[in-house]
Amino acid sequence: MNAREDILGRVRAHLRRDARNAASGRSALDAYLKARLQGPRPKIGGDLVMRFRAKSELLSSTVEEVTASPDVPQAVARYLAAHQLSTNAVCWPGLTGLPWRAAGIEVAARPATGSDLVGITGCFCALAETGTLMLCSGPETPAATSLLPESHIAIVPARRILAGMEDAWNLARTELGEMPRAINFISGPSRTGDIEQTIVLGAHGPYRVHIVIVRDS
Amino acid sequence: MENRAMHFKARAGQKLADVVLQDNLGKAKSKFVGMRARAIVEIDDVEATREAARVLRNRALDDLDLWLEQFERQATQRGATVLWARDGAEICQTVIDIARRHGVRKVTKSKSMLSEEAGLNLALEAAGIQPVETDLGEYILQINDNEAPSHIIAPVFHKSKEEISALFARTHQRPALTDIQALTREAREVLRPHFLSADMGISGGNFLIAETGSVALVTNEGNGRMVTTLPKVHVVITGIEKVIPTLEDLSTLMRLLPRSATGQSISNYFSLLTGVKKPEESDGPEHLYFILVDNGRADMVGGEFSEMLRCIRCGACMNHCPVYQTVGGHAYGWVYPGPMGSILTPLFTGLENAIDLPQAATLCNQCGVVCPVKIPLPDLLRKLREKQMERRLRPLAERLALLAWGWMARHPQLYGLATRLGVRYLKWLAHDGVRNDRIRILGMATEWTLGRDFPAPEGRTFREIYAARKGNP
Amino acid sequence: MRVGLFVTCLVDMMRPRIGFAALQLLEAAGCEVIVPTAQTCCGQPAYNSGDRDSARALAIKLLDEFESCEYVVAPSGSCAGMIRTHYADLADGREALARRMAALAARTYELTDFLVNVAQLDRVPGEYRGSITYHDSCSGLRELGVKTQPRALLAKVPGVKLREMEGAEECCGFGGAFSVKFGELSAAIAEKKCDCIRATGSDAIVGGDLGCLLNIEGKLRRMGDDKTQVLHVAEVLSGSAKRGG
Repeated sequence: MNAREDILGRVRAHLRRDARNAASGRSALDAYLKARLQGPRPKIGGDLVMRFRAKSELLSSTVEEVTASPDVPQAVARYLAAHQLSTNAVCWPGLTGLPWRAAGIEVAARPATGSDLVGITGCFCALAETGTLMLCSGPETPAATSLLPESHIAIVPARRILAGMEDAWNLARTELGEMPRAINFISGPSRTGDIEQTIVLGAHGPYRVHIVIVRDS
Repeated sequence: MENRAMHFKARAGQKLADVVLQDNLGKAKSKFVGMRARAIVEIDDVEATREAARVLRNRALDDLDLWLEQFERQATQRGATVLWARDGAEICQTVIDIARRHGVRKVTKSKSMLSEEAGLNLALEAAGIQPVETDLGEYILQINDNEAPSHIIAPVFHKSKEEISALFARTHQRPALTDIQALTREAREVLRPHFLSADMGISGGNFLIAETGSVALVTNEGNGRMVTTLPKVHVVITGIEKVIPTLEDLSTLMRLLPRSATGQSISNYFSLLTGVKKPEESDGPEHLYFILVDNGRADMVGGEFSEMLRCIRCGACMNHCPVYQTVGGHAYGWVYPGPMGSILTPLFTGLENAIDLPQAATLCNQCGVVCPVKIPLPDLLRKLREKQMERRLRPLAERLALLAWGWMARHPQLYGLATRLGVRYLKWLAHDGVRNDRIRILGMATEWTLGRDFPAPEGRTFREIYAARKGNP
Repeated sequence: MRVGLFVTCLVDMMRPRIGFAALQLLEAAGCEVIVPTAQTCCGQPAYNSGDRDSARALAIKLLDEFESCEYVVAPSGSCAGMIRTHYADLADGREALARRMAALAARTYELTDFLVNVAQLDRVPGEYRGSITYHDSCSGLRELGVKTQPRALLAKVPGVKLREMEGAEECCGFGGAFSVKFGELSAAIAEKKCDCIRATGSDAIVGGDLGCLLNIEGKLRRMGDDKTQVLHVAEVLSGSAKRGG
């Protein structure tokens, strides 16, 4: 008997599985999948953008707002200068249309490598509840851009800031045909507390996350 | 991992005497307990959320076969291969087979408690494959001669930064650093080349989502993402009990897990991985394998201890346990310490191999109160004690003492006589020439007087005084 | 109110004065107090050690002795907790027994809980001119919700100054048989509790469970502390505890 049959066989025996309760079990399962029952959720009222900002900052991300997309490169340039960071960045292909060069930033729309210092991405949406970015992987939205570089810059349209994760799932179900290979929820710079329970930012992922919220997109 | 749970009492004694450990335990306690307390109040209705978590975990466990089949269908549709393993040996063999099939020479690992159960790293090394732990705590253990973790979330919380500094200096052949930030940076620099050159990544899985055939990974460092994004092969090893029905259920659990574990509102990285990369994508594995593991779990389904299967491995129980807080994790002798370990170790490795663990608890229920999925941990510990009684696994002297007490207590006259004599004897023992209110060494209960005095009784029993008063109003 | 007083085996053997203090308090609250004279043990040591048969036998004995009382009161969170929350488990499917156990459970109270919530005791006979700190025993707190009741009663005692210790709700390390199976470990946990107690600088540590109190007293004395009084809440409330006595 192979491992699968052995394991499932014992599980079925312990649950007293028979043909009848298997059929009723499966229809209950299908019904539950369709129902998409949410659990208790905290009330997230008021200005979602403000809450998202506040929560992000608590997680050690830095956040600023610009009025429109063309304003983004100047904001990013100011950030890079303020932190004495490189002005050479990799970015998602969809962002090359913004006026980077005019702001003094060289962007390359290619996958990130281990030696890239700055990665610029957009996001699928963001969660106000916890100050979290949701990035979906894809040919135009590679995951490594937000992971390998030392600094991650994320451009967030204000209207894509949702209350919580359950809203993000619904949006994903509506907009995406199927689950992307990777959905990464990012809540601040990478960190570890393994040494003496002392939090250190910049473990294996980025040391810093800078979020640029775009009001009119 | 080799099971040393039988030596709990001896190891506990050593841990009590370990000054460095005691200092680290004290610091860790205030951090873990305090941080969880502050974070949990962010949830509007904690009790309702815990109850919802209990219900959703039970929903999957009550029809575990159906939900596992649903997961398997969905995952396979997305290009993953779903494999099954009955025990540690099958886990190791399956991983080695996969590695050989893909010509793997180096494996990067992010945290997997199941790989600890199986002793996977040693098996990989024996097969000529290099495993590299990348979770900072697990990496530290690996380079310290594969030391065992002492906590399921914070594997090296028993170590001071001085110890880690010395270890890094020795292993990396660099000057010793004392700054925690510098040590972390050094680990980043040492591990990054491994991330970029590994042929295969192995991870655990916090949850398996049946709706979409996905695995959820809860991490902070970024190593989990590296290990599951960069290599061309990704292997997920996780227990069959980890399956949950829907993405909504995942969100409910994600409100509780990070807060219960580390006091974070959400973990730094929370990834949901589904299937393999498409040809037009630039990152992600080309091959994804799930190894769904039994290793004692299947036989708990539908049984007396099935509630333990709800565990989401947050570590809150051990953080709040007075015994764990006093001896740390290594005393427990196997992969899982604290209250959840005291239940799982006997169930997974055999009751006769972990006799002390269910006994080494005060049943205070500090654990049960904080468990995010409402597992009645003291009740399960008590049930294990009942099993030990039934199988006569406790020392004869103990069983006889209990029987004698129980019998006496059912015979009030005899009980009254014996207790009147007993308390007079104890009171007499307490007269040592200097004081008369305490006993320093009590022969019949030397364990008590090892570390404290035994206060003297008044000298007469309540029943005898009451009877006398009633007789002479 | 006809109240059956279950003094508990520890009180019977070690500190009868706690039993008499409880008796006095219940009478002060206007209760008619019955003390079934054949009472011995509630069965908790057997239950927690995994010996269900002995535990059940003792539970049935207690049931027979106390069933006719309107209320059952014990100066102990762990014994009251045993009756209230665990007796039902011992019925093992025997329906008539289960019903009797459930009925008894509903009428069983820890002393301070009874005095505050049922008897609604207005004034306490005792006085204690000193500072005290209170230890919340695990079963009283987590099984029965005993937290505010002893504090409310102590607040009525003239002269008492309550100083809360850090970790008041944390286990003292007694754990019944745990204290004699894992003595070193138990004593180490007790030491932390005693450090918290001594840090308050109180004249006395007060609690509702004699098991905890014996453990704490034994540890304090071994630590060289002969001054901190260790008192049951019933003693303070009834006035049988004298400061420095």
